[in-house]
Amino acid sequence: MSDRKEITLTINGNQVKGKEGDTVLEVCRANNIYVPTLCFLEGLSFTGACRLCVVEIDGERRINPSCTYPARDGLVVRTHTPNLEKYRRLILELMFTERNHFCFFCAASGDCELQAQAYRYQMDHARYPYTFPSLPTDTLNDFLVIDHNRCILCGRCVRVCGEVVGNHTLDFGRRGWRTLIVADLNQSLGQSSCISCGACLQACPTGAIFSKVSAYRGRTSEGKVIRSMCSLCGVGCEIDILVKDNNIVRIDGANLTGLKGQLCLMGRFQQVYNENPRVTTPLIRNKKGELEPASWEDASKLVTEKIKDYKARHGAGSIAGFASSLCPNETLESFAKFMRNAVGTSYIDTLDGSSFRTIAQGISAFSKNGKGLEIESPLESILGADCVLVVGSNPLETHPVAGCYILRAKTRKKTKVIVVDSRQNTFGLRADIWLRPDNGSEEALLGALEGLMAKKAKDAEKSMRFVSVAKAVEVTGLAKAAIQNAAAMLSSAKNLVVVYGDGVLAANNPKLIARLLDLAKLASHDGLKVISLKPRGNSRGAWELGIANQNGMAKAKPKLAYVLMCDDKFEMSDWVAQVDQAEFLVVQASYRSPLTDCADVVLPSSIWAERKGKYVSLDGKVGYSQKVLEPPSGIKEDVEIIAKLAKKI
Amino acid sequence: MGKVKLATSWLDACAGCEMSLLDVDEFIIDLAQAVEFTRSPITDIKEFPEVDVGLITGAIGMNEQEEEAKELRAKCKILIVLGDCACFGGICAMRNAFPKEAVLRRAYIECESVKDGKIPSSPEIPVLLEKALPVNAVVKVDCFVPGCPPRARDIKYALSELLQGRIPVLPSDMMRFD
Repeated sequence: MSDRKEITLTINGNQVKGKEGDTVLEVCRANNIYVPTLCFLEGLSFTGACRLCVVEIDGERRINPSCTYPARDGLVVRTHTPNLEKYRRLILELMFTERNHFCFFCAASGDCELQAQAYRYQMDHARYPYTFPSLPTDTLNDFLVIDHNRCILCGRCVRVCGEVVGNHTLDFGRRGWRTLIVADLNQSLGQSSCISCGACLQACPTGAIFSKVSAYRGRTSEGKVIRSMCSLCGVGCEIDILVKDNNIVRIDGANLTGLKGQLCLMGRFQQVYNENPRVTTPLIRNKKGELEPASWEDASKLVTEKIKDYKARHGAGSIAGFASSLCPNETLESFAKFMRNAVGTSYIDTLDGSSFRTIAQGISAFSKNGKGLEIESPLESILGADCVLVVGSNPLETHPVAGCYILRAKTRKKTKVIVVDSRQNTFGLRADIWLRPDNGSEEALLGALEGLMAKKAKDAEKSMRFVSVAKAVEVTGLAKAAIQNAAAMLSSAKNLVVVYGDGVLAANNPKLIARLLDLAKLASHDGLKVISLKPRGNSRGAWELGIANQNGMAKAKPKLAYVLMCDDKFEMSDWVAQVDQAEFLVVQASYRSPLTDCADVVLPSSIWAERKGKYVSLDGKVGYSQKVLEPPSGIKEDVEIIAKLAKKI
Repeated sequence: MGKVKLATSWLDACAGCEMSLLDVDEFIIDLAQAVEFTRSPITDIKEFPEVDVGLITGAIGMNEQEEEAKELRAKCKILIVLGDCACFGGICAMRNAFPKEAVLRRAYIECESVKDGKIPSSPEIPVLLEKALPVNAVVKVDCFVPGCPPRARDIKYALSELLQGRIPVLPSDMMRFD
């Protein structure tokens, strides 16, 4: 857009430059001329809802909102005349009298844009009668409350929900001054299509939308805001954490309307506090078989003695280490070094190691040139796609912000979405086409789609490389027309992005991944575009460090297992069986879980917010999470614990 | 110059504003030298004399308070109101989302601590208005000091300005609604 014509305006008597196509407000902002606004939010469309940004323009009979007035060459604008200020205060008084804007019991007081504007205009009373409406308050969502009494109908929540999140849950209902923000067809937010990402919360200028986990726990001015990175899912969103008295009060997206700043319910709400009980002291299983608090000295002595003992009796190969990919690179590196050098075993893995090996084998079967994860595309490529094929994944559940990229592309670019998943998948309901093949027949389906797409291929080659439609109909249980429709949609795409996730990884079938890559290549006009949604926040970091490389891992039957859980949540999976067979189990974890309950030694470690760390996002970008909290006394960082053990061995 | 005569009236309010007025530290001495308190919570004078400055805290929630506000307005030259209740309706206006009957029923009959309750109806008791109103909805007000309660420094600022002969408006950086 840099080739737009430059224009010159006169604002408050000064000549300023702008670009053709800008609104007057944009020109003012670009030239550091402050114009008060409420309904404006950087990155959203302009609606002129609040009228606070009114300006005088020569040649116009009335005052006009600057956010919707197109700037043009020679325009003479005044932004702060006594007349305008009079009207702005009038508008504020009308807003204050229209609904309930009494600050002293409002969750947003101190962080409210409406209140700040009232202070600015010294609005110490309102000259109009109050309407004192009695509007409903919607509290059914787990995290969000909508109090319509505090709403000024600026529409920022509606626009952010549609234009940025792409979910279109919120909209306006009713008419005139009775207008209310409604979810779907006037459902309660808790029963609507809302994904609780909280973008509306962050966009709301007043206390009309507030968070159940952050309300009344502190204002921005009372704490410290620290820029960090969310390390939960691998999208790697930038977050602003408000910390007060060693507590996280609130987590905001650093760049709400841009990339990686939108956040999801996990990053915005579930991380604020965790109600699971912490492990607060080292625990050792006593003779009665109960876990008993112990000193760091005793616990680390026992662990090192056991390691030495098993090494002497059964060899280093009897010891295995498992690390959660929620740990940052520093922790993983020191753990790998400890296991390899100090302990001497080559049996180390991440808890999601099997996913890595499936992907790696799939990629090598496809490319045959030794390339790895680097063939994958950045997440942003979704926003430029005209068709997205989602296989075996509900990104809104596992990687919500990535899912929203797909929805945003669908809203802004009319991107087509095809979902292939044999499981119940609500993302399929939002797609243009949802193919639900019988379990295990995804590969055949993709083969048939490829066959239909490859128009130029000779029949003989087709039968060799692809799967016939008739065969696919037989094994997938899908209708022929459904497969043909999907193939037609894929063929017409100029910029296809393939996204796959947990469903594909759980199948443990490298051939399926190779097939996916092949399809993406067949459809691509300018390079392969594939994104795998990896299980954990630092999966890619861990995999790039080579921690999940051991192919023999699946057969390893360790006698002593050391599990680095950090603050990962406990899930049943392959490695649990391996750990279960171990005679001696060491678990280093932040929270109590079924795994810590069956451990022989538990070492308490810090959570994500209590350590600094380097993470690699699922598309390979490096980010840093900051230490924002001091850990409870007696709890050490993973790196520190491992260093201490290494010293003893 | 003689002392400025001041009368105060405590309407539908919690005493927070009066507490804040007493919280102005040593300024209270200057104030006592410059101002003659006529009717106020500390003098216990029942009637309003003719005064220079009338000061109201609290919203107008009953007919008696409406009368009192009108009487003070008639007898003072400048009327200043303190606190969110007086300026906007404040805490008292929280009941305005409900009908008056529901509010009375909740307080006198349904309240958990009440047994065999009854809504008072004696003619000697003031009658609750349909809505609690800010003072400027009933009488003309010359000066507003919002805040719940207003900070002592705000009250000091407003009264000092008044004593200097100016009608104050709190500056933006001083103004607080909570």
